[in-house]
Amino acid sequence: MKKRYALYAAAAVITLSLSSVYNPALAGAGHGKSGKTGAPGKASEVTRTINVTMSDNFYEPESLTVKEGETVRFVVKNAGEFVHEFNIATAEMHKAHAPEMMMMMKHGVLEADKINRDAAKKMQESMGHGMHDDPNSVLLEPGKTGEVIWTFPENAELEFACNVPGHYESGMVGKIKLSH
Amino acid sequence: MSRLSLLNAGVVGLSLLVLSAGDISAAEYSLSVDRVKIDTGDFTRMGIGYNGETPGPVLRFKEGEDVTIKVTNNLDESTSIHWHGLILPYQQDGVPGISYDGIDPGETFTYNFPIVQSGTYWFHSHSGFQEPDGAYGAIVIEPEKREPFRYDREYVVQLTDAHPHAGDRIMRNLKMSADYYNRKQETLLDFFSDVKDKGLSATVDDRMMWGDMRMMPTDIEDLQGFTPLINGKSSSQNWTGIFKPGERVRLRFINSSAMTYFDIRVPGLKMTVVQADGNNVQPVTVDEFRVAVAETYDVIVQPKEDKAYAVIAESMGRTASVRGTLASRQGMVADLPPLREDPRLTMADMGMDHGNMAGMDHSKMPGMDHSKMPGMDHSKMPGMDHSKMPGMDHSKMTGAAKNNDAFYAAGSGLVPSAADGGKFLSYSDLKAQKPLYEDREATREIELRLTGNMERYIWSINGEKYEDADPIVLQYGERVRFKFVNETMMTHPMHLHGMWTILDNGNGKWDPIKHTVSVAPGTTMYTETEVDAPGQWAFHCHLSYHADSGMFRKVVVKGGPKSASLSSQKGG
Repeated sequence: MKKRYALYAAAAVITLSLSSVYNPALAGAGHGKSGKTGAPGKASEVTRTINVTMSDNFYEPESLTVKEGETVRFVVKNAGEFVHEFNIATAEMHKAHAPEMMMMMKHGVLEADKINRDAAKKMQESMGHGMHDDPNSVLLEPGKTGEVIWTFPENAELEFACNVPGHYESGMVGKIKLSH
Repeated sequence: MSRLSLLNAGVVGLSLLVLSAGDISAAEYSLSVDRVKIDTGDFTRMGIGYNGETPGPVLRFKEGEDVTIKVTNNLDESTSIHWHGLILPYQQDGVPGISYDGIDPGETFTYNFPIVQSGTYWFHSHSGFQEPDGAYGAIVIEPEKREPFRYDREYVVQLTDAHPHAGDRIMRNLKMSADYYNRKQETLLDFFSDVKDKGLSATVDDRMMWGDMRMMPTDIEDLQGFTPLINGKSSSQNWTGIFKPGERVRLRFINSSAMTYFDIRVPGLKMTVVQADGNNVQPVTVDEFRVAVAETYDVIVQPKEDKAYAVIAESMGRTASVRGTLASRQGMVADLPPLREDPRLTMADMGMDHGNMAGMDHSKMPGMDHSKMPGMDHSKMPGMDHSKMPGMDHSKMTGAAKNNDAFYAAGSGLVPSAADGGKFLSYSDLKAQKPLYEDREATREIELRLTGNMERYIWSINGEKYEDADPIVLQYGERVRFKFVNETMMTHPMHLHGMWTILDNGNGKWDPIKHTVSVAPGTTMYTETEVDAPGQWAFHCHLSYHADSGMFRKVVVKGGPKSASLSSQKGG
């Protein structure tokens, strides 16, 4: 029972993204080859933990300040009743990611309050792509908690945002200020 | 300084009296009902307004407060104010003959009721044709809790279809000749052109069919010749909302027209719909949406450039449009695009296309869930190039019907599509953000056929006009399912007072709650209502001249809490 639960919880932390296959702009963030957005961080280098709460449809805190080059562990809790994402990227990257999330929704993978794994599997089989891990983001069902460890770059215009269709546009996005 | 002099200054939310009793706040408002001059730029005439202007002031309430609103009638005829979409004791609902007797000339009536909801609503006279004559205004209710969206500034965008003729004159003319205001009648030339295209016998058959219906394919707007206004301003008067580039702007669209549906767009911007009829919906981003008479939609836009953006409201029948401007600086004017080609009703709108009728039960159409559409199975599309998939717009996929909206008859001429491409909002897209009621089986079904005789300009429900019909009797605590069957060729925005209308749009527990639902020609749709408000209420088509000519019912709710069903005024 306990084991099963843990497995389920882990599954819920899977990130949805179609990006890397097609979109070179996203590949940087998706596969962490460092760059203008930063890079996936190592747990051993974490200097700070920031708790982020996701509600319907907003974050607390509403904006973040981190140091350039800092490695931060984000502990992200979905306290809402809908699926939400915590995704660190530039505004342009979020914009490129949004249609993919829309496709997930249209295929029934992304439901309002849950991630439909059967639909995801079907989509994977029929279209050759589906869900996989992206280190810069975490997609969470209601009640779930996930983690992102990220090493920030210098001089970047970054946002943390939820790309579930409609959420970014209605304001579920915050600025990440990089301090020296 | 007396309250009255303040009132005449047209100040909104005049005197704010905070009562001393604990944390109960009460706000007092005053409205005068006045004869006012309407100047649209196209014409001037006398009409009716509030506090000396039309539209009246924006009333700003707070969820959880008790409001007192003193309404003084300065007209020489009886008046009334109905708070459209507000949940309140029935005696406060403002419908003469159902809630109360109305407000006599020279009298002041004091409304008093608790505010138990939030969002965008409006108010209007429920007497005669005072509302089409200008007696309307907006209501904005600030919520107790944080809203599920964020914006930097907000504007009310209230639409109307100002007509050079007074309402009672329009009604007389429509009764005399139902196509009096239809400037789009088919001519003898159209007939010969159709004969050329379709052949004589098909054309004659077609014309005879329309003749039997006492309708014409151009009967989309039975009242034409109006000037559409945004917040009382025509295109030439250019209502303007200022923004700073990058800001999120909330636009609260309210359709206060007597007769006109509008299609709304802001060229160059996506609109994220966050509320429908005052209730939060799961945000959905669109390029254009249709607002039925009496509905409201709140959208968020984010204009990023330092320029003017047009806010366009184009009438459903494409007989008129109005442009307002979102401007980064005062004095900017956005372009007004030309009217699109006017739509024509089809046999499907006549309800004649029986071949397609099977697909019309909306309750069994789970939105646009592609995963359940066998025709969309990607695995069976061998020719599809996956490398071109990102950003793929399913609405442009071949195989999917061109204009596909479950809330119009299949093959309907009224199905809208976005002017500049992209997504047009459908009722199917509306999902409650936080459902107010638990989803449960309805206890019974009531069928309401929307009926009419266009030629005599009689509109009715189940073939009976208001004055000939018995009230609809509901039992407190039941959940009623209404089956609307539109047997006419007009689109009817049906408005139930006092209780929410749960629109069955196939989204199950997320079905949205509304106060007005639009029923397209040749369609059947279902709504449900949790009967939770004792007393007696109005239920009618919100097209002013349809309501007046009989498409109207009284709803009586029997039983319920004793205190609430007392007929005395709620203590103030």
